[in-house]
Amino acid sequence: MSELTLGALYGAVTLVVMFSGMPIAFALGVVATGFMYFFMPSSSLDTVTQNVYEEMASITLLSIPLFIMKGAAIGKSPAGRDLYGAIHAWLHKVPGGLGIANVFACALFAAMAGSSPATCSAIGSAGIPEMRKRGYSPGFAAGIIAAGGTLGILLPPSITMILYAVAAEQSLGRLFLAGIGPGVLLVVLFASYAVHRARKEYKLALDIYEKGGEKAASLHDEHFTLAQKVEMLPRVLPFLVLLIGVMVALYGGFATPSETAGLGALLALVLIAIVYRVWRPKDLAPILTSTIKESTMLLMIIGMSLFYSYVMSYLHISQSAASWVVGMHLSKWLLLAVILLMVIVLGFFLPPVSIILMTAPIILPPLKAAGFDLIWFGIVMTVVMEMGLIHPPVGLNIFVIKNIAPDIPLKDVIWGVAPFVVLMFVAVILLCLFPAIATGLPDMMMGAK
Amino acid sequence: TTLKISHQFPGGTLTEGDFRDRLTRMFAAEVEKRSKGALKFAIYPGSSLMKTNAQFSAMRKGALDLSLVPLSYAGGEVPEVNIGLMPGLVTSYEQGYSWKNAEVGKELARILYDKGIVVVSWIWQAGGVASRTKPVVEPEDAKGMKIRGGSREMDLILKAAGAAVVSLPSNEIYAAMQTGAMDAALTSSTSLISFRLEEVSKALTTGRGNAYWFMFEPLMMSRAVFDKLPKDQQATILAVGADMETFALKAAQEDDAQVAAVYQKSGAKVVDLNAATVKRWQAIARTTAWKDYGEKNENCAKLLKLAEKTL
Amino acid sequence: MSHGFELKAAPGPAVPDNAALAGASGLLNKLNKALLTLSMCALILTALILTYSVVSRYFFNAPTDWQDEASVFMLVGVTFSCAAYVQSYRGHIGIEALAGLLPARVNAARLFFVDLLSMLFCAFFSWKSWTLWHEAYVDGQTTTSTFAPPLWIPYGMMALGMTLLTLQLLLQTAARLSDKPTETAP
Ligand code: NA
Ligand code: NA
Repeated sequence: MSELTLGALYGAVTLVVMFSGMPIAFALGVVATGFMYFFMPSSSLDTVTQNVYEEMASITLLSIPLFIMKGAAIGKSPAGRDLYGAIHAWLHKVPGGLGIANVFACALFAAMAGSSPATCSAIGSAGIPEMRKRGYSPGFAAGIIAAGGTLGILLPPSITMILYAVAAEQSLGRLFLAGIGPGVLLVVLFASYAVHRARKEYKLALDIYEKGGEKAASLHDEHFTLAQKVEMLPRVLPFLVLLIGVMVALYGGFATPSETAGLGALLALVLIAIVYRVWRPKDLAPILTSTIKESTMLLMIIGMSLFYSYVMSYLHISQSAASWVVGMHLSKWLLLAVILLMVIVLGFFLPPVSIILMTAPIILPPLKAAGFDLIWFGIVMTVVMEMGLIHPPVGLNIFVIKNIAPDIPLKDVIWGVAPFVVLMFVAVILLCLFPAIATGLPDMMMGAK
Repeated sequence: TTLKISHQFPGGTLTEGDFRDRLTRMFAAEVEKRSKGALKFAIYPGSSLMKTNAQFSAMRKGALDLSLVPLSYAGGEVPEVNIGLMPGLVTSYEQGYSWKNAEVGKELARILYDKGIVVVSWIWQAGGVASRTKPVVEPEDAKGMKIRGGSREMDLILKAAGAAVVSLPSNEIYAAMQTGAMDAALTSSTSLISFRLEEVSKALTTGRGNAYWFMFEPLMMSRAVFDKLPKDQQATILAVGADMETFALKAAQEDDAQVAAVYQKSGAKVVDLNAATVKRWQAIARTTAWKDYGEKNENCAKLLKLAEKTL
Repeated sequence: MSHGFELKAAPGPAVPDNAALAGASGLLNKLNKALLTLSMCALILTALILTYSVVSRYFFNAPTDWQDEASVFMLVGVTFSCAAYVQSYRGHIGIEALAGLLPARVNAARLFFVDLLSMLFCAFFSWKSWTLWHEAYVDGQTTTSTFAPPLWIPYGMMALGMTLLTLQLLLQTAARLSDKPTETAP
């Protein structure tokens, strides 16, 4: 069997097993073990567990539970409610104000965390319930958080960019800077869409109400006096302390990125203990339980997907696909289009880290030969991989949302996310037309290449 | 048969890129040619097959065919191999390459063979120190600085020199140097280039000429896989492996010079070591890292003694 | 205090109809709860350790070299030892797109096979984890760092956690067989 046929079979079997409803983590493990048994030397079976352990035993990866804990401490305590209450009081006149606030919150958190699911979880655990409470449709609320969370790997620091910089032999500093422009672009696109969608949902709700239907939460005419608004401001303070504290620790050279995760989590717990007196074991239990549930679910998926990609790599599937694409000798832009398409397809099954590791060595040389700036391509590829994080079957951010708000049907989540995927696609087009969105900032700060 | 070669270094082509990746590609092409296509290879650069630390064990179990990896990475599994990154024990390329035919090399190869590993190509690499503040030349310079030694042995020496030793994963070195969470890092010349630390460094201590930091990173093969091959193919593999050593030596020395050029270009202060300084680091190593290693077990003590003979 | 829209607390793990299975599930639930509590402490401890390492390095210029690995061990422990707890609530997420489309009996068969296959995989994984644990214990394997803690600790937690997960899935598979059919969706 050729490597490409084997690849097609691998993909097909994966789809069948996943759509059987088997938990994603086990499904990835079952498919990988099955293919290992049939297509790899039997001694490979002895290395399964060590491979999974080695993949998981990285402090970078394991900082995810700590970032989730930080988010849960805010989201599952009155801190989150107060924060959103204050934002609402100030922004309720702006259509989609709360949505915009959530996009910004995601961007800020992304600047502290290197991974997307952690960003998604931290902001979503308070953001989704609060948006729904104020009348946002479940799908819309989920979409904002899922999409906002993807900024985690586009805004520095970013795990995937580190891997890319090494593989592409590009300047990491340049790459980090190059992510900022497109990150801001996405924030603007997401926020604009939030305004548009909130207006639409408001009109819809108004229509239903005027026809004698239910009065949606978004229709409640609220009014806040300036005094009320000012009085709410101090409630934002703990969040600001947390945000600034962590930023200073990270960018001031006090802590390494993984230490920041621990520091931030502890700071969040201390803040809610002082301000909201949430410190008794009984009060902390729900925060910690939800942290553990979510991070266990997520890390099992990540661990197994790294095992899954080990088998895929051993069978040379992604590499053959990449070589096949390269071997077509396409024109410059067609080559780019086909490569990005391949990244999208791989994104069905694999998290960004694996995609980079497996394809970068093969696709980068021809792209470079075709005259593409590899810093620019790194950013484009990151945005495309971010799309993979929010589309099924393996979309880590979607699983995070499912866990935060299990009552939102997967269908609604996916439909809610779809417009954001389109927006990211628009961003990719804009990046192709105006490469300076990415390369402008590094060129300005570090001099043209 | 298609054999798989895994390594952790950035992937390139036969003629371009990280020399350790190039070496595996040259090796593959030459063996394929000499075996008239009976042996073919698939190369997995950048840990794209498995994590760096999993490679050694996978080879021992026969689940991975070949790997080019710093030997001391397997130190947790086979303590003897820590000798492959024992600062001060090797102070020149000539001495490092003399191991292969000296008693120490034969003994090391025997131990590895017992553990299921065949050494195919003997490769040594010098390294240096990138610093975001002042250059780390003399042991006294390290005092009070936050330094990542990168191995147990180097950490012991740095501690004895009064440095504050920092441990963090290699993918965080850049960020930590940028923010100042860490002042300096020791690694091979090639990695000093590929990690792009020149962007965040003000000084470099090179490994060209004199050095106390030499790393043994051989091309190795799984014994289980090796033993199954016909005798002529085994001979071809070992012969080509030996031929690669000339290229490795030349390329490693080129990188020692190249790293200096790269850091110089970015405006960093570049300093070379002299023999007297190397001796001073060696003196510290003798009472810390060497001692620690020699006390691990009988094999280690023996290897250390044999290695000292080559000094 | 009304949160208006706050998510309802997750319902407790489903109780099998069969008395013996229900008893076994009860025991496993207790064990899961204990491990959950332990994991909560480990999580907070990890945050404390990482903070301590910052404080100690920055303010006392005395860097710690064990914080990363201690954290890794702790978090690996948390992940694996709570895997069974998460499964008891069926918290490992899957794609349930087909649930509504299939006839009830076909769907029941699907759910049974999904659990069975998951269980077999986890059993295989547990077995290989114990082998790995044994190897590391006998050979005295450690990590490669300066701190060099023994590897049997995290391997053991992985093996134990996966074994409990296998047990949990075994009970759930058995319950699928023995439970009286209901019309409500699972
Ligand atoms: Na980030
Ligand atoms: Na996906």
